[in-house]
Amino acid sequence: MNRNNVYIAGAGILSPLGIGLEATEKALRENRSGIGPLGVFSIRHPPALPVAEVQELADSPLPRTHTLAIQAALQAMGDRREAPDAIILGTTTGGILSTEQLLTDKVQNPQKYSYHGLSTVAEAVARQLRCPGKALTVSTACSSGAVAISLALKMLQSGKAEWILAGGADSLSHLTYFGFHSLQLVDPGGSKPFDKNRQGMSVGEGAALLLLTTTKPEKPLAQLLGAGLSCDAYHAAAPQPQGKGAAKAMQTALENAGLTADDIDYISLHGTGTADNDRAEAKAVSDLFPQPPPLSSIKGATGHGLAAAGAIEAVVAALAIEKSFLPANTGYREADPELQLTPLDKPVSHSTAAVLSNSFGFGGNNGCLIIGRPDTFAAVRPLLQSAPLSILGTSCISGAGNKEASMSRLLQGKSMAGMLDLDAISKNLPTRKIRRLKRLSRLALSLAAAAYDDSGLTQPPKSVFMGTGWGALSETYDFLKKLRDTEEQFPSPIDFVGSVHNSAAGQVAIMFGSTMANITTSGGDYSFEQAVLAAETMLDDTSPPAFVLSADEGHDQFSPLFDPSIQPGAPLADGGGGFCLCRKAIPGKVALQIPFYRPAAAPGVLDALVNALGGAERLRNQNGLILAGIPACSSKDGEQQLLEFLNKTMLSVPVLHYREMSGEFASASALAAVMAVHFLETGLFPPPLASQGREGLLPAAKKVLVLGLGTTITAMEFWIQ
Amino acid sequence: MDTLTEELKNKLIEILNLTDVSPEDIDENEQLVGGELGIDSIDVLEMVVMVEKEYGVVINNKEIGEKVFSTLAALAEYIHSNSPRLSS
Repeated sequence: MNRNNVYIAGAGILSPLGIGLEATEKALRENRSGIGPLGVFSIRHPPALPVAEVQELADSPLPRTHTLAIQAALQAMGDRREAPDAIILGTTTGGILSTEQLLTDKVQNPQKYSYHGLSTVAEAVARQLRCPGKALTVSTACSSGAVAISLALKMLQSGKAEWILAGGADSLSHLTYFGFHSLQLVDPGGSKPFDKNRQGMSVGEGAALLLLTTTKPEKPLAQLLGAGLSCDAYHAAAPQPQGKGAAKAMQTALENAGLTADDIDYISLHGTGTADNDRAEAKAVSDLFPQPPPLSSIKGATGHGLAAAGAIEAVVAALAIEKSFLPANTGYREADPELQLTPLDKPVSHSTAAVLSNSFGFGGNNGCLIIGRPDTFAAVRPLLQSAPLSILGTSCISGAGNKEASMSRLLQGKSMAGMLDLDAISKNLPTRKIRRLKRLSRLALSLAAAAYDDSGLTQPPKSVFMGTGWGALSETYDFLKKLRDTEEQFPSPIDFVGSVHNSAAGQVAIMFGSTMANITTSGGDYSFEQAVLAAETMLDDTSPPAFVLSADEGHDQFSPLFDPSIQPGAPLADGGGGFCLCRKAIPGKVALQIPFYRPAAAPGVLDALVNALGGAERLRNQNGLILAGIPACSSKDGEQQLLEFLNKTMLSVPVLHYREMSGEFASASALAAVMAVHFLETGLFPPPLASQGREGLLPAAKKVLVLGLGTTITAMEFWIQ
Repeated sequence: MDTLTEELKNKLIEILNLTDVSPEDIDENEQLVGGELGIDSIDVLEMVVMVEKEYGVVINNKEIGEKVFSTLAALAEYIHSNSPRLSS
């Protein structure tokens, strides 16, 4: 089997054009637009701006995004009975539409908010399909779907999975409807990308998932030939005006697929219909394609499905190849002389072998995919990932302060739980540049700055992988509160831009000029582990150093509602950890790997964990210390899992329950990872909490295992090379 | 007008979180966007929201917006001439 060849075995799609491949193709051939009146919710001051809604979505007790994703998943799986090895889903809204209603109704019961988190969408799909593997969540704003598919491509090429279901889903919500409106980015007449009179986008929704595999199916829809990620590192919301980041992502995708611009038969443009996006994209396309192939944006038909958009367009690219037709740039009437770009004004029949599909998002997050006719192009060079991930620098923030303060407290056997003062977090950051940033972005910037400082690197890392369980709670809360307090009239555009999960990683990229891959993952209590998985998957032997960060903020109102480990009224804790790392063997440096990540409900999960760690004997020989992360919400299950693991392996090493020291917050495992590195570097680890004992001595040449327990079982190993 | 200009300076500092700026640091005749204060397009939109909320003046046209937000003095002038809440 040639694992470089990744096939699209199936596809599911729900968009404002219809449900399923047939309905989508029909609407596109008819050049019909799905943009229309708002019906999903009502607003206080009609008339509403036009939106792009999915019609006739089946009723479900789950939030709308979850329902969209599950329906797309079932379509993509078709007749296939075996669950995929992994699910990688892009989403920006998660359960926010339902959360908004609960907040309006002043519901205080945290259980009602159990579908709020972004990760619950992928987890709901995984449960529906009984997927025993990873369910990962990517949130890079409007490029989420394309970035999720890119991550799946690399994971398949690395041989870590054979079948992955990947794509994106988002539902309409007050947050996105009023947010884009507050930025004056919505066209009151409906989106008409690249038209001279374009005035913006149409906020939309939808879901699309691709069943991807390295096992050649009997009738593949198409082949996923390559992917390219980049970051503008320019502005929180506006694209780099020359389209430099966009061009870089397109170029990277071409190189990844082993193709040149001449090989591309059709470009599926991001084309949102906003003045700035379309101008920057047109420049980027003109730079790379002196004589561009036929091109169009379908967002005049589908609206902008946000995290779903890149996945919807990937499915349409596959359709274009299979059915030999190119969709029109719906709504386009009058050429904009400034753009020097002529999109298709009507659908055409056209034999197509390779499609470039563009997706760009807030935070300057760009993701481009290349989709081709099966077995038409030569296989590309294999992914080179022979070296381990070496840790060059670390940082952390806890209630006790920075790394020095936190580790000092830890080695005294004392808890470092709490929330550090915002001024202390911002101490080393430039005041003017962070004035718009609230707690999560400041945590991330501070972590990145300290990790870079600790690394001794002379050039900042080029890519960013960031985990966050709950995202920018302050901005989300403030946006929704102001929306409500002003009767939906005056929400804050600054808060909307800051509310996206990837805003913090985007800020890191801007501050450090990190123009390569920029991926934000969200996996509840396992968000840091997901960021490590993303880094492990994306970084190859030639990649420059990267940031891997994870942070969560404590928020008085939202944290107790959303995070089931936080008891109402209990003092909050927050913070996170930061790393500079690269894929290179460096003797003397601590290395990191993440050999295990599976839902706890998967059959035989603990045996699989022991196997993934090399078996009980190897563990007994090599392991010196376990840091166990058991979120308070899963304390009973987590303790049982830990006991079983210790019984299976007959390990008798010290076990530190790190949440007793870090406090309860989703990114606590990033703090644990910093502890692991610190213990290896100093040889010391702390006495159990509340004991008067001295710190322990870690035997040389031993590994430290950071276990995540509870609803998901994860294992990260750290050792000195 | 002077009162309005002073009021706007304070509001600007507040909504844009210019913690290291005091009202007297702001020259109302200096370029507002892209100038010393580091104000960009998102800040302008935040000011648009404030101007509509506080003074009932709607600015939803890019050309007018560029003119109105060229300087703080221009903004004060535009609000002064268009606000139903400020009868001069």
